[in-house]
Amino acid sequence: MRLSKIHMPKGTRALILIIAAALAYGFLNAHSNRLLLPSAPFIALRPQVALSFFLGFVFGPWVGFLTGFLGNMIGDGLSGYGCWNFWNWHIANGLYGLIPGFAHYLGFKEIRTLRKFVIMETIVVATNVVAVGFAVLADLLWLKVMQFPESLNSWILPALTTNIVLSFVLVPLLLVFAKFIVITVETRITLVLSWLMVSIVVISATAVTWTVWEDLTSQTASVQAFYSASIVTVLVVIIGFLISVFLAHRITDPLASLSQAARQIEEGEYRLPVLDTISKRSDEFGQLSTMMQRMASQIEVRETRLKDQVTELKIEIDRTKQEEDVKEIVESDYFKTLRDKARGFRVASRSEEKEETDDVTPENNESSGV
Amino acid sequence: MSKIISIHSFRGGTGKSNTTANLAVYLAQTGLRVCVVDTDIQSPGIHVMFQLNPKDIGFSLNDFLWGKCEIEQTAREVFTEDSTGKVFLIPSSMRTGDIARVLKFGYDIQLLREGFMNIISTLAIDVLLIDTHPGLNEETLMSIAISNVLLIILRPDSQDYQGTAVTVEVARQIEVPQMYLLMNKVPSLFDRAMTIEKAQAAFNCPVIGLLPHSDEMMTLGSDGIFVRRYPDHPITHEIGMVAQKILK
Repeated sequence: MRLSKIHMPKGTRALILIIAAALAYGFLNAHSNRLLLPSAPFIALRPQVALSFFLGFVFGPWVGFLTGFLGNMIGDGLSGYGCWNFWNWHIANGLYGLIPGFAHYLGFKEIRTLRKFVIMETIVVATNVVAVGFAVLADLLWLKVMQFPESLNSWILPALTTNIVLSFVLVPLLLVFAKFIVITVETRITLVLSWLMVSIVVISATAVTWTVWEDLTSQTASVQAFYSASIVTVLVVIIGFLISVFLAHRITDPLASLSQAARQIEEGEYRLPVLDTISKRSDEFGQLSTMMQRMASQIEVRETRLKDQVTELKIEIDRTKQEEDVKEIVESDYFKTLRDKARGFRVASRSEEKEETDDVTPENNESSGV
Repeated sequence: MSKIISIHSFRGGTGKSNTTANLAVYLAQTGLRVCVVDTDIQSPGIHVMFQLNPKDIGFSLNDFLWGKCEIEQTAREVFTEDSTGKVFLIPSSMRTGDIARVLKFGYDIQLLREGFMNIISTLAIDVLLIDTHPGLNEETLMSIAISNVLLIILRPDSQDYQGTAVTVEVARQIEVPQMYLLMNKVPSLFDRAMTIEKAQAAFNCPVIGLLPHSDEMMTLGSDGIFVRRYPDHPITHEIGMVAQKILK
């Protein structure tokens, strides 16, 4: 599973991917109708929307768009709605992949941090709003199939809320499998918290809907109220997500400061004001940063001591012994002959190389000569 | 004009062969034709830096010095940067018999110099680097006497100081035109400017560079050329500066 490493599928591979994904999408569209969702009994639970988002994020706009677009077309065809009657919804489903695909195109290719995780979920929510908004607008302007404002409660809001809640659960899951979400401490905590929270909301809402639905359908007013309640579901999910992000941030924020502190120590900076706030915490992070500050000041003391020793470094040469050793060598007959030969060589090469100028002028032999 | 540069250290283990090989490759990377001669006949070693197997050494410097072959036959290309930048190596024999024979009978300086001049003209060599034997034996003095430049490598170590002081003075008496010190394996805690200043004052000789003690260099050991493996490492930049100053 190294999908995230595949930069952008080209040619035949992209085609095969799109066809396979569109078929899966269409098949699921036609057969997921029996799965009904909280507060939106006419709207099928459509796990396949996550597929468009996922492929858009991982493979870019074309794969994302075509999967949603063709998938919805195939799904409508299989369900007997006709392949082209609701083209606006084909485009809306395509947008589910197209918009995350643009994020991919603009360099959003990996999620390691809390910030990127929030950006991803924001893209997911915004895309849902834009796509459904487009379908509704197209219907108002050209198709005129829906009846407003009745359809707002029976159709549009349920579709929107269902898709938002589902994509909140499924898109991160698929992205983790594709390693688009890299498991770091930040992403792991966010995933665990948000997933727990969203699944509790979804499961309890679904359970409630399924239990009371038979009784509710007889009372139109209650049904209307129930539809509107779906907005609450979405709000709970979004607020819950933001709370889990905040909690994750509380946990991971000290890590960023701690690693910044470690980097400063590496660069020889031992005053660590970046840890001042965390040190006041009573938890393990507080202890760790207090320890780190103490450690840094200890290192500083030791290093200063070492540096002082270096200043005292002396190059000690026994001049008497040096003189004796030199004398022993240069007064030998061998050395004298060698020196004369060397002089000869230098004179020879000087006359050979007429063009040479000052650069051979002895630089260090001012003190030369015996 | 071509330069003959002897690279020497008073004691072993200073990183002499390593530095020589790195300088050679660095210079070749700037488009120069470089020839490295291993005159450390007693304990040859620089061929390892160029991954040259002792079995593949055909004619060596020893063979040339005994008149068994021409100097051109001893040189082999060990590094190629492009059509101009190359490193040739003239290795010493690894056979113990060959080593003993040179130690016993020695060789003639005139012949050595002629060999160097020939190789410079036949292979159009820009820089000839001589990897010498540590200490101050007769062969080493010969190499120094033939050179335009003497580069002495030392570590910040009291035993190196004494020997280096003697070497500098002897080289001065032999009237080598240019002489530089290169400090190697300097602990990072040492203040650069102060270390250079102290060494220059103590030895009365310019310090051309200061190579820090490096874990990467240690790990790599004789297993490859550092400047090639780490082209952007501070050590590579320092070697580059040394190369420039030496050729100035």
